[in-house]
Amino acid sequence: MRLVSIFLKSLKEQIRDPLTLSLSLAFAPFFVLLYGLFFPSESTAYSLLVLNHDAGAQIVDGSRQDYGEEILRAMAELAYADERQMLEIEIVDDRASAEQRLRDRDADALLVLPEALSQTIWEASQGRETAIAEVIFIGDLTSPKYLVAAVMANAVLDEHIHEATAQVRPITITEIPLGASAERSEFEIYVPGLIIFAVVMLIFQASMTIAREIESGTLRRLEFSRMKAFDYIGGTTLALLAIALIQVLLTFFTAEALNFRSQGALWLAVLIGALTALSIIGAGMIVACLSKSVSQAFIIANFPMALFMFFSGAIYPVHNPTLFTIGERTIGIFDTIPATHAVVAMNKVFTLGAGLGEIGYELGMLLMLSLLYFVAGIWLFRQTQLKSK
Amino acid sequence: MDDIILRLEGLTKRYGALTAVTDLDLEIYAGEILGFLGPNGAGKTTSINMMSGLLRPDDGRVILRGVPITVSSEEVRSRIGYCPQEVALWGRLNCAEQLQFMAMMHGLKRAKAREASHHLLETFELIESRGKQARKLSGGMQRRLNVAMSLVHDPDIVFLDEPEIGLDPQSRIMVREYIRGLAGSKTIILTTHNMDEADRLSDRVAIIDHGALIALGTPEELKRSIGAEDVLEIEVTSTPSDMTALQKRIEDLGCQVELAPSDGALFMRGREVISQLPSIVDTLNRTGLRFGEIRVRQTTLEDVFIHLTGRRLRE
Repeated sequence: MRLVSIFLKSLKEQIRDPLTLSLSLAFAPFFVLLYGLFFPSESTAYSLLVLNHDAGAQIVDGSRQDYGEEILRAMAELAYADERQMLEIEIVDDRASAEQRLRDRDADALLVLPEALSQTIWEASQGRETAIAEVIFIGDLTSPKYLVAAVMANAVLDEHIHEATAQVRPITITEIPLGASAERSEFEIYVPGLIIFAVVMLIFQASMTIAREIESGTLRRLEFSRMKAFDYIGGTTLALLAIALIQVLLTFFTAEALNFRSQGALWLAVLIGALTALSIIGAGMIVACLSKSVSQAFIIANFPMALFMFFSGAIYPVHNPTLFTIGERTIGIFDTIPATHAVVAMNKVFTLGAGLGEIGYELGMLLMLSLLYFVAGIWLFRQTQLKSK
Repeated sequence: MDDIILRLEGLTKRYGALTAVTDLDLEIYAGEILGFLGPNGAGKTTSINMMSGLLRPDDGRVILRGVPITVSSEEVRSRIGYCPQEVALWGRLNCAEQLQFMAMMHGLKRAKAREASHHLLETFELIESRGKQARKLSGGMQRRLNVAMSLVHDPDIVFLDEPEIGLDPQSRIMVREYIRGLAGSKTIILTTHNMDEADRLSDRVAIIDHGALIALGTPEELKRSIGAEDVLEIEVTSTPSDMTALQKRIEDLGCQVELAPSDGALFMRGREVISQLPSIVDTLNRTGLRFGEIRVRQTTLEDVFIHLTGRRLRE
């Protein structure tokens, strides 16, 4: 009963502070909106510049064979399941200006077809010895978009040469995309991380709510009542979990409005969000206990927020240095952050359509770490703030 | 006044090398108002925390109605009310919600909580503002609500920490009358630095310093205990160069006095100071001391407090 009273009291306080609440709730959906504007929400088309020097091949009967043109047509026909083009091909005539566009990230890759391309293929198809023609790919190897564009173009080129020269392949290579990963837009790739980011933002609300109770003396007043530590922590946690739930749903529906397509069940995402929130509330409690005021709590909370946000892979992938290995599992240093597992699980659900069984490991780790953070928060809170309880 | 509600037996609390409270023995009677006085850092808060079951003593025990109390005891909490010196309210809850919430934290059912809240809102003249959030109340109203919050569960013992601080004169009178009205039905333990407040309200006063009880009695008993009835307060423009010589000259007039120079004033406390006033003035003139206004008053609780605890600043 007392737990319910504290839950309702906390909820009332949150609702009656509309500015803080709305900022807290709107932050992640706002980021989703920005990502939606900055990144294409349709399947990504990669920009390929082509410097076509191919002079074609003179065939014995007098006709001409233009393999370069054929290859470029095949590249242009590459399409996603939604029939959108994979490669946007642009013919250029100046290598220097094309390279400058690559540097400016105005294009993803530059393909240079040599003058003797068709002639070489033709000769090879006739079984004659011929000089080797050099096809050149130019691009920024640190750009993931270059790698994808080059791989796609290379696959078409390779396939065409094999067909034209009737060479027998000893092996065939088949690419099978996991889940709906082949059709994901760049925007959709960011959404699972942004939902975890929304939950991570709860650290401000959690730490400031508790710090306010300490600073104003109301926690001490409650200490003189029959309230138990369980009532206070339980009631406050429930109110914060309710906010986390709204954050997750608001972020998800904002993303959906911007053409995000989930492959998995929403309830799984909510479960992942709730477990992550538990660890964030624990961290918030630790921050509150280390703070002397609400403003100090706000400043200190930035540290774990940045840690959870940047090193969990929520915003961009990070290298995770290995700590140790258990069986086939490699445990990295950032695996100690609950949000790391939450991001992986969220990605599996939203992109690969994973079910509960397929995210068992991540959920298990998330649950274990979240409980650890939460219990650490409770322990410190009881030790420093509720000594008599 | 022989119904003991709270008995402290050899209460001791140490923090490392510091002994905050030493062997404190005290009997508190049901229905009395006990002024619990002491300089800052004297051990008042530590003592109150032990009395209320918030802090475990290192030695000794607290006995409530014959039963030793333990830390975390719900039974103890239901019988104790605590009003902190600072306003401790939830800024975004209104007056009625604050009281009802606190009542429910003390285990009252919703209907009872509402009833108790309504009664206190009327008593503390906050009924018109019952729907107003605490952060929007005036300072005086917040203070009144702060006191009301400690009474919502109808406790037997109420700890009031500086209840009159920050109150305007009207609110002060109202709160004072209410506290006086509680006497008899409730035991009030009042901590304050306002000696006038302690004098007016307390049935008995306990003075604690360096963690030990140094005086206990009614305000009148304590005033008599320092053996003086009259105090002369003389405005001076300079401090006498030889205080011991001046004291001897005045004592030669037949007055047992204690001289205490203060900021621009010289306090002279002792018997017969009023009857010997012309001779004292003459003596001061002869020492060349320049002085202005002379005020005569009776010994106050503040004189007792300063007499017992000294003038040295504690913080």
